[in-house]
Formats: sequence, structure tokens, C-alpha cells
Amino acid sequence: MSLPVFVYSPDEIRARIISETLKAEGIASAIFTSHFELDDALMVRRLPHVVIVDVKKNIHEEQKFLERLSLRLPEAVFFIQCDLSDRPVLENITIANKIVAFDPIAPEYIRDKVEAVLIARRRFSIKKYARIGKEAFRQTGRIFFKAIPIAITLFIGLAGGYLYWCVATLPDIETLKDYSPYETSKLYTQDNKLLTEFYVERRTFVPYDRIPKHAMEAFIAVEDARYYRHHGIDVIRIISAFWTNIRRGAIVQGGSTITQQLAKMLFLKPEKTITRKIKEVALSLKIERNFTKREILVLYLNHAYFGERAYGIEAASQVYFGKSASDISIAEAALLAALPKAPSKYSPFEDKERALERRNYVLRRMLKTDSINDLIYDETIRKKLPEKAHRRNFNAPYFVDYCRADLEARYGDRLYTSGLTIYSTLDYRMQQIAERAVQNGIDKLKKGKITDVQAGLIALDLKSGQIKAMVGGANYSDSQFNRVTQAQRQPGSVFKPIIYLTALKQGFSPNDTLEDSKTFFMWNKGGEVWAPENYKGIYHGTVTLTKALSLSLNSATLNLARKVGLKNIIKTAKDMGITSTIHPFYSSVLGASELSLLEMAYAYTVFANGNRLKPMCIERIIDREESTIMEPRGEKKQVINKKVLKNIRSMLRAVVLKGTGKRAQVLMRKVYGKTGTTNDYADAWFIGFDENTLVGVWVGRDGRLPIFEGATGASVALPIWIEFMRDIS
Amino acid sequence: MMDMELEKANGNGTAIEGQIGLDIGTANVVVAYNENKNIKNLLQLNAFFTIPYSKVTKKTLLREETMFFDKDEKHYILGTAAERFASTFDSSTRRPVESGLLNPREVESIDVIKAIINRLVKKSDKRNKKICFSVPGDPIDNPNAIVYHESIIRMYLRDLGYSPISINEGLAVVLSELSATNFTGIGISMGGGMCNVCFSYLSVPVVKYSIQKGGDYIDSMVGRSVGESPTKIKMIKETGLDLSAEPSGRIEYGFHIYYDDLFSSLVQSLRQVLGSSDNVPRLSTPVPIVLSGGTVIPRGSREKFKKALDGVSLPFKISDIIIAENPLYATAKGALVMAITEDADI
Repeated sequence: MSLPVFVYSPDEIRARIISETLKAEGIASAIFTSHFELDDALMVRRLPHVVIVDVKKNIHEEQKFLERLSLRLPEAVFFIQCDLSDRPVLENITIANKIVAFDPIAPEYIRDKVEAVLIARRRFSIKKYARIGKEAFRQTGRIFFKAIPIAITLFIGLAGGYLYWCVATLPDIETLKDYSPYETSKLYTQDNKLLTEFYVERRTFVPYDRIPKHAMEAFIAVEDARYYRHHGIDVIRIISAFWTNIRRGAIVQGGSTITQQLAKMLFLKPEKTITRKIKEVALSLKIERNFTKREILVLYLNHAYFGERAYGIEAASQVYFGKSASDISIAEAALLAALPKAPSKYSPFEDKERALERRNYVLRRMLKTDSINDLIYDETIRKKLPEKAHRRNFNAPYFVDYCRADLEARYGDRLYTSGLTIYSTLDYRMQQIAERAVQNGIDKLKKGKITDVQAGLIALDLKSGQIKAMVGGANYSDSQFNRVTQAQRQPGSVFKPIIYLTALKQGFSPNDTLEDSKTFFMWNKGGEVWAPENYKGIYHGTVTLTKALSLSLNSATLNLARKVGLKNIIKTAKDMGITSTIHPFYSSVLGASELSLLEMAYAYTVFANGNRLKPMCIERIIDREESTIMEPRGEKKQVINKKVLKNIRSMLRAVVLKGTGKRAQVLMRKVYGKTGTTNDYADAWFIGFDENTLVGVWVGRDGRLPIFEGATGASVALPIWIEFMRDIS
Repeated sequence: MMDMELEKANGNGTAIEGQIGLDIGTANVVVAYNENKNIKNLLQLNAFFTIPYSKVTKKTLLREETMFFDKDEKHYILGTAAERFASTFDSSTRRPVESGLLNPREVESIDVIKAIINRLVKKSDKRNKKICFSVPGDPIDNPNAIVYHESIIRMYLRDLGYSPISINEGLAVVLSELSATNFTGIGISMGGGMCNVCFSYLSVPVVKYSIQKGGDYIDSMVGRSVGESPTKIKMIKETGLDLSAEPSGRIEYGFHIYYDDLFSSLVQSLRQVLGSSDNVPRLSTPVPIVLSGGTVIPRGSREKFKKALDGVSLPFKISDIIIAENPLYATAKGALVMAITEDADI
């Protein structure tokens, strides 16, 4: 059986979507969901003209298979359906005949492309038959009598057929009615400060009424002066361009109208073939029949490429002048109108002289077409060109990365193409304070010749769980690794309150006593014996639970852990939202099991208000139709009862009043928290809170070497915490 | 023992000719089949009621050709008759299917459902005759929940001599109602226990799922709010509820509130599931939504659903919202279309 199209996708539904689309147009196809099936079919079936390969999310696995397939089917056209993010990999795949489309699957586009290939293949057959016929005719020896009329008939037939094919395979311009270009999504802080933009093509759509009249006139003057007088094709201009080019002996003037340029941008490949030109003309006529001049101009201005990765007039205005398109002057509009012809050639940042010459040419055209008068012309022509591109300095980069991962998981590639307005939970003022506090903490260490130290800080709202500030490292441009969310570190003594909470849940009271003396424990399953020591080797004998926690006594804590049970401690940690593995050994009690600052900070919300909260970085998402499409509510779950909450809070308050967190008393307000230091001084922590905000700070080195001998949570992390808490109040 | 009594209760026991579509819902079991090029339907309430065994009662049941079987010193009265008995005893019927799936709280649910199916479709007269039965989509928050349910029904239909295939309920609605759009659109079957949704593109079930809320939820919530039994609320709903009219009285207000709540949950789930699917293609033409099932029978449901959908952003535009021509029978009809198509493919 001969099938012209093979469809391969590991996802049967996706393969069927494509196959059924083709079937509806009378094109038969075979579906394959594994390499094995496809290989098998190639051995027994006639080879296909088109192979549609869906490699979404599997590009790395499918790359070799694709290349092998293309060697086996050198004549076939490969239609590759993939993720936008796969584009770089795809560019490295060497396939001669490939068409690439990005997700989501666009059935009509696939159908049009496949049809075009199949029709083209049939056309070659006609040519072949014509040649055979001609040869046979020559053998009859009557060429002079019959060849000429047959040749004319054949020519007219083929030309007519060719024109018909060009028109029949035109793309459907109805899609323009729902014109929805790739548009930039923007991420803001809660208080409306732009944090970053997510885009493939940096574009912000602007409607007709927000484009200044003089900007439209500038484009019309230089690109298509008779724009309002033709119906898509400007015959007078074509003749004039033809004549000018002949006189000059080179192509100096083009004949394309704005409508033709739009047709080319939206639907056609930038190849120079007669077929494309015919299609361009036919499409332009079709567009003019279906859309008003105003609609066509708006589409053109929003779609054109202006260089500097700016698509559309709004993005271009922002990049070249740092302002919105609605605010650009005549001189600025003239420069933008100068660019689409050759964006890099006429870029003021590449070749100032050439850019100026072209801009002034636009102004002359505006003068000639009466868009401006002599006075304005004289004044405008003296205006300077912009010196450098306006690039935004984006803030809170670690937080942006965290949001990006969350948003990509929700929206995939649409994040980069759908023009979403995303309000994050970040408080811009708090973020600035956080960045300053971390920087000051690192600088203070640098002054003591302690370099290459990293720090992380997270601040969150205790009512909602919203992240208010996040600093993932000392310098984002040096290292993008996020020490709040990605680093798995030993928590040391910040883990201890979990043991005390487990005890309180079992009925212990803060005033119950414990023995703080040298005790032996099994280190791990291997049976190694271990006698943990207190800080500076001092043991306190009989102590209350409150004292043991406030002074962070290792031996007393381990004795307590033995009483409450390791399993129960691990359960408490899980109930508090810790997802990293807590190893069932006594060393975990002193914070040997690694986890992230994010996890630890969210676990501490239980100490603050009894509730386990879920990390939340997005407050609201609005689509380009201005409908709110997502407004997540904070998730909370009560984990402990009021009595236990009151007791654990009093114990964490004692840490600040009498224990290792004494320095925090400088804040002169009621705060709670716990220090943490690991054995080899590799990690220093402080996590604490007041009634509204919980803040976690970690300091350490990426290579897990000691920060310096004697570096503790109290001496290194707590000062950063204090500065932040002081400045936000 | 059980089979013999059913045989008597089922009359002559003649099998249906040709392919069969079977909709096993929480509230009803419906059969669709072709008779002289017209689609015919049979419907039985998917319910049962037990009464203590006695020889006298049994004689009466047999005399009145009531559908029942005996087990563990009890008579299991099935289908529509169960409701009559329940009302006589001032009680409620029990359901072999709950929230669209075999009821795990009813030990006898498998026997009951088998008996009802047997009553409706009978043993196959030909080997491997095609029967297509509806199955719900995976509940949004409970994936793989339908495997057991589907396997049990499939096994039983095979025992009856059929070659069974299954169809998603939402897809069945599309196959039944959307031939005009080449089977492209969203089919929603809103039954007693759940709402089944399928976005179909050229008959390919691109996205299918269910939410475990349906007519029963409305009945129970309204009942709870106004202090009436769900059975009474259901009766009021089925006898002339008009959602297009302004509500008057506590019960009508209750209906409006819980219909709004159900539709809101449904459209939010649509937004969420369609929005997060990798498979939804880019469509240039709007697609219709078709609603079916007993829950959308009250007047004004379409407008209420439309209101809930307003302002909700889906990956494609919606051309129209339509109510199935016969909401109670649409799923069975779609299943029949599938059975016929599958036979033709062979």
C-alpha cells in the first residue's frame, strides 16, 4: 500500500490530530508511535513524500533518529513539529528538506504545507510526461507541422496550471481576522514595577489609536506613497521602479507595497522565486479585499522587524528611544520608518552616517508627500540620532528565574508568546532592602579578607505564604545558581526546633527537664558509635527544654530525640512541608540531612502561626484580552494546636532573649528565631519572624569549605537578618 | 438461581439485532440500537432496593414481571421498580454506580449492574457482536480510577457473548451531536454523579476528563440547604424546574445557587485542563460545546452555562453552546455510532 505521508509521534493523540487533519483533505497517512514501527514500514511500504515527525520534549532523544531517517529518505520532505525551546537543537540537525513548526500543533498550517509538497511532486510528473511526449513526437519527423501549436498549447496549459496551483495553495488569510502575533509577557512586582519580559519576539501590540499620525505618515511616505490609492499592487510604482533600475543599471528601488510586504512577512518564506512573487501578489489582492487600509497598516506596523530583537513599532520605540510608540516625535518616527528595509544596515548603533542619511531620506519623502511642511522639516532634520539602545536592567533575577520555572510549568511556550501580564508576589521595596542586606553582609566578610562567600535570603508573608523578597546569591551575573531554592545544605541547629515541637506535641512542656551530658549514639546503620559534643565542649547537666533549645545544646537535644523517637521527628518534619529526605539517623537531629533554605523557611511558618503554607510567587495573571486567567489563593494547613504553638513560640523567643540569637534584641521588638551552624563552619543560618514576616538567611560557600574558623549563624547570618528586619519596619 | 429468575423477569429474552450502544451512568442505564434505520432507546434506572425474602413476595414479584434477583435472604429489586418500592417504604433507592464508577460502598454493585445490563441487552445472538459502552473520563484529581470499573463491565459484556469496546462519555456526546462540525467540539455529559468532558478534534479525543460533581450533587446540596430529602428535590428538578425564570422560594434559589456552582466548577476545570494540555491544536475556527445528560434538561441550563463561560479564556473560541437533541439518550447514541463505525472499519 502506498501512503504519501507518514506521521510519527510517540503521543498517539498528537499523531491522530495530524493524520485526521490530512484525512479530511483526502490525504492518506500512516501513524507510527515508535521507531521500530516506522523502520518496519519503511522496509515493506513505498517510501513517503512527506514524513511528519513530532519531537516535542524529546528532541535530544529523537535527533539521531531524525538524521538517520533523513539519510534513508533523501527525497522526502520532513515536517518537524517541536517545542519552541527546541529551536537551537533543531538548527544543528542537518536535513535538506525540512519544514519546522512550533507547538501548539497548527493543523491548517500542516495541511497547507503537505498539500503544497504533494502538488509540487505531481507537477514534476507532468513535466516528465511532457518531455517523453515531445521525444516521441520528434521521432515522427513532423516536428515543423505540429510542434509549434502543441508547444503553445502546452505552454498555455502549463502556465495556467502553474498559476492555478500558486493561487490554490495560498495560505488562508482568514487567520488574520484573529491576528494574534507572538507577544511579550511581562512580569511585575506586586507594586507594579517591571521585573522582566519573556519573549521570543519582543513585541507589544499597539492598536491604531495609539500610533501617532506622523508615524504612520512616515512609513507610508518611504514605503508606499500611493498606499491609499492602490488595491494591494501599485502598478505605477512597479513601472517606475523598473524604469529607475534600468537607468541606474542596478536594483535601487523596489515596487512592493505595504500590503505586499505584510503578505510576505506573515505567510511567505523570504526566498527569491517567481512562485513566491506570484503568491505575494495574489495574497496582497486577497488581503486588500478582506481588510481595510487602516487594519492592514496596523498589522504591518505591529509585525515589522526593526532590529535589536524588536518586533513591531512599540517594542522598537522602547528599544531605540526608551519610550512608548504613542510618544515618539517626527524625527524618531522617521528613523523607525527607515529601519524595516534593512534593520542592521540602517541601525544608528551600527552605522550612524548611513542611518542618518536614510532617516533624512524619510523626512524628505514626508516633505514631498506633504506630511510635513518646510518649517518642520528644517527643524526635524537637525535632530540627533539615539546613542545607544535602551535595555532594561532587570531586577530580582533569582526570583525571576524561580517564577519563570513556575510559569513555564503552567503555560509552557505560551509564556513567551501570549502577551501575559503577570503580577508576582514580590514587594519591590523589601527586595531592595534584601539585596542591600545581603550585599552588606558579604562586604563585611570581604573586609576581613574572607572572599568567595555566598548568601541567600528569603522573606515571606506569614498570612498568605507569598514570597516578598528573594536573593539567591551574592551576584547573579557571576552565578545563577539559586541558594534559596536549589542549594541543598545541612541545616545544622535550625533543624532543632522540629525535635522540640515533636516533644511538645507528645505532651512535654517547655519547663520539663533534660540531661545535657556526654552521651553515646549509633552514628548510622553501620553501627559506628558517636558522642556528639556541645559548642565549645561545655555540658550543662539538667536543663529545661527552653534552655536546651535557646543555647542550642547538642547532647540535650539528642537525649530528647531519643525520647520522642526518630520516626516521629521525621513525621513532624514532613507535616511541616519538608520534602527532602530526612535520614533516619540521630545525626539528622542535629541537622545533617540536607535541604533547601526555601523548604526550611516555609517549615518555620508552623512555628510562627501553626500553619503550613505553600510557596507562592504569582499573585495574578492577566491575558492580552485583559481577563484574569489565574489568581491563586494561598494554601494553608493547620499543623499544630494553639497550646503547642504558644509553647514553641515562647521557646523561640527565648533563643532571642537568652540564647544564641541575643543580637536580634537590637531590633527592640518582639521577634523569634533560631540560629544554625554546621560542624565545620560550612553553613551559617538564621531563620526568624515577627508577627507579619518570616525571613530565612543562609551564608556559606558553594564548595562546602568552611566560611572561616568560628563562623556561626549568630555571627554571619543573623546580622543580615537583623538589617533586613530593621529596614522593613 | 439468579439467572433463572431474571430470565422470567425479562420476558422472552430475545437479543437486540445489530450493533448496540450502551450508556452506563450513575442515574440511568440506556441502550441505543438500530431498528429499521431508526435509532431506538431503552432506559432503566440504575438503582436497586432490597426487601426481606419471602415466598409470598417472590410470587408477587414474578407475577408482576418485576426485575429482581435473590441473594442472602433478600430480594434485590432493580431499575425503575426499585424506585417504586423505595417510595412505598418511604426510603431511598441505592446506587450500584456512584460518581460515575462502580460503587465501592455497595458490596452487591457488580451483581446489580450485571443484572440491569442483562435485562436491557440480553445475551448476544451472534458471536462477537459489537457493543460499545460508555466510560467516564479520569476524574481530574483521581487518575486511573476508571480502570476497574471499565474492566468489570467489559468482562461481563464479553461473558454475554459480545465484542465490547469502550468510548469516553464526552466523546460519545460529540459523535452523537456534532456531525455538522466533523466531530470537532467539546462534548459534556452531565449526569447524576459526574460531568464528563471531551474536547474532540475530527473525532480524536484530544482532552478527556471528568469532575465528580453532577445532578446528585445539586440535589443533595439543595436538599441539605432547605432540609428536604434529595429524592424529593430530584423529583422537583425533573418535573418542571425552569432556570430561565426568576427564582421564587428557597428551593428554587437553592437550584440557582448550586447550578451556578456546578457550571462554575465545570468551566474552571475546562480552562485549567485545556490550558495545560500540550495536545490542544491551534484552531482558526471557533468550535461548539454540546451539553447533554439529565442535569441539563431544565429550561435555562444553556443560558446559565453560557453565563458561567463568559469571561473564561479557553485556548480557542467557542462558536455556540447547544443542548443535545435528546439529552438522556445522546451518550448511548454516540456509543452506537462508535460501534457501527468500528464494525465498518473491520
